[in-house]
Amino acid sequence: MKVIRSIGALALLCATAVAPALAQQAAPKPPKPQISETTKQKAAEENANPDALVLADFQKRVDAYLAIHKEAAKDAPALKETNDPAQIKHAQESLGAKIRAARANAKQGDIMTPEIRNKFRRLMYPVVQGPSAQGTSGSAKAVKADVKDELKENSEERKEEGGKPVVLKVNATYPPDTPLPSTPPQVLMNLPKLPEQLEYRIVGKNLIIRDIDANIIVDFVPNAIQ
Amino acid sequence: MRRVFLFVLIPVAVACAMPEASVTAQTQVAAQTPVAAAPAPQSVPAGKVILPNKAGSIKFAVIGDTGTGDKHQLAVAKQLAATRSQFPFEFVIMVGDNIYGGNSSKDFENKFSTPYKPLLDGGIKFYAALGNHDDPSERFYKPFNMNGERYYSFKPADGVRFYALDSTYMDDKQLKWFEDQLKMSGSEWKIAFFHHPPYSSGETHGSDETLRTQLEPLFVKYGINVVLTGHEHFYERIKPQKGIAYFITGSSAKLREGNIKPADFEAAGFDTGYTFMVVEIIGDDMYYQAMTDSGKTVDSGSVHRVGKVEPTPNRTAQPIVPTTGNGKKLPPAGDRK
Repeated sequence: MKVIRSIGALALLCATAVAPALAQQAAPKPPKPQISETTKQKAAEENANPDALVLADFQKRVDAYLAIHKEAAKDAPALKETNDPAQIKHAQESLGAKIRAARANAKQGDIMTPEIRNKFRRLMYPVVQGPSAQGTSGSAKAVKADVKDELKENSEERKEEGGKPVVLKVNATYPPDTPLPSTPPQVLMNLPKLPEQLEYRIVGKNLIIRDIDANIIVDFVPNAIQ
Repeated sequence: MRRVFLFVLIPVAVACAMPEASVTAQTQVAAQTPVAAAPAPQSVPAGKVILPNKAGSIKFAVIGDTGTGDKHQLAVAKQLAATRSQFPFEFVIMVGDNIYGGNSSKDFENKFSTPYKPLLDGGIKFYAALGNHDDPSERFYKPFNMNGERYYSFKPADGVRFYALDSTYMDDKQLKWFEDQLKMSGSEWKIAFFHHPPYSSGETHGSDETLRTQLEPLFVKYGINVVLTGHEHFYERIKPQKGIAYFITGSSAKLREGNIKPADFEAAGFDTGYTFMVVEIIGDDMYYQAMTDSGKTVDSGSVHRVGKVEPTPNRTAQPIVPTTGNGKKLPPAGDRK
């Protein structure tokens, strides 16, 4: 009787211990497409792919930001090679200030609208979470593991080496003493191209669009990695 | 009877509870078995440069993860300057993390222009790559010689071309630029330098395999001979991979003691002191020496390449003679003090 009881206890112990590990290993489900009624209607009228319209909308919003950036850059001191770091910092801060002034009312979602955010989560899912990753070479599984490792390393490095936490806020400065997490190439391959003034960075589970020379957060996708 | 069951149950239950841990433990045991006996480290008097030091050769130094402004950076910088008095290198390669924590004038002064003042005063040029702790606006800082670009190439002398890459943001645009540059390259030595190491035995970071996936095919196809990186806060020389020699010099101001874990691709490693490298190219031979802030030599040797290398599709390895060196391969971490 005691033997049966012990075996039962063992089975229960194993089940309890393994279940969380299995749950952790299981890939989260891919985000479901969320296309607005307006986009759906437009897609129907134009006989277009709704996703293509979402990406075109993203491009349009990025272009609008870029116009602001270029206009601000005209009035700001030029970023050019110099022996004086103060001049670089001054130029960077002036550009940032002019952009902030020009889009003083900017808020999260101006560029990354809900349907664009959803599209980005869907674009990132295959390389960071999905069961079949897309990479340039190597097995899909290996590439996905690499991307995950890289993201984990970024996060650990930030904790280890300090720096101020990144405040996810439109127009906020990216803290200059905080490491810039490297963006996995596979993620970059899957996302729409940005103009040279902007870049994607993954901070924790969030994707930010950063203005490189102004060092400001232009917009972001919270929980881009779910 | 109960005791017998407990003996059986406890190990089984532990194995069930930690399926991954048990696998890892087996892997570690296998990896810690030394592949070959460690070669005896060469005995070189402190501060002595043992490179050929030939007139007219290409001489340079390599430093990485430097920008702290603390006593360790200063000590390495001092030894670097002392080394130059006997080995007149003409430029210094910086493999990233050039300025930690902030980009004010004071930061640049404390973390670059003051430590390296003797070298800067002597007309030595520095060429920087961006690390993950660097603000990309550093590319406008003239003493870093980046020409305002995040990635660039330069040819300091006939016979060698360097490619500085931004490994924190390896997008299509950069890769295309790099490939275009390589297509235009001649038969000179091709040396790439950037921050994140494609091969590393570091316990904290390890190999950046995503970066390797992107870059290694280009290295092989277009004949990159040597890759210089940092990020890991130690010195390491990797056994030639597909004919390419890889070095990590990320302890020129920061150190992660005991961070090198045994790996089959490690040729030599040093993770108990602050280091820099001096390098000399003579014809098809590249000589290197890694030294500490007290001038102790921790690795040295040479890389020989087989003459002219043209871009070749479907190439799987470069015609390079394996690196020779007499540095010390670290014993397993558990055997180290």
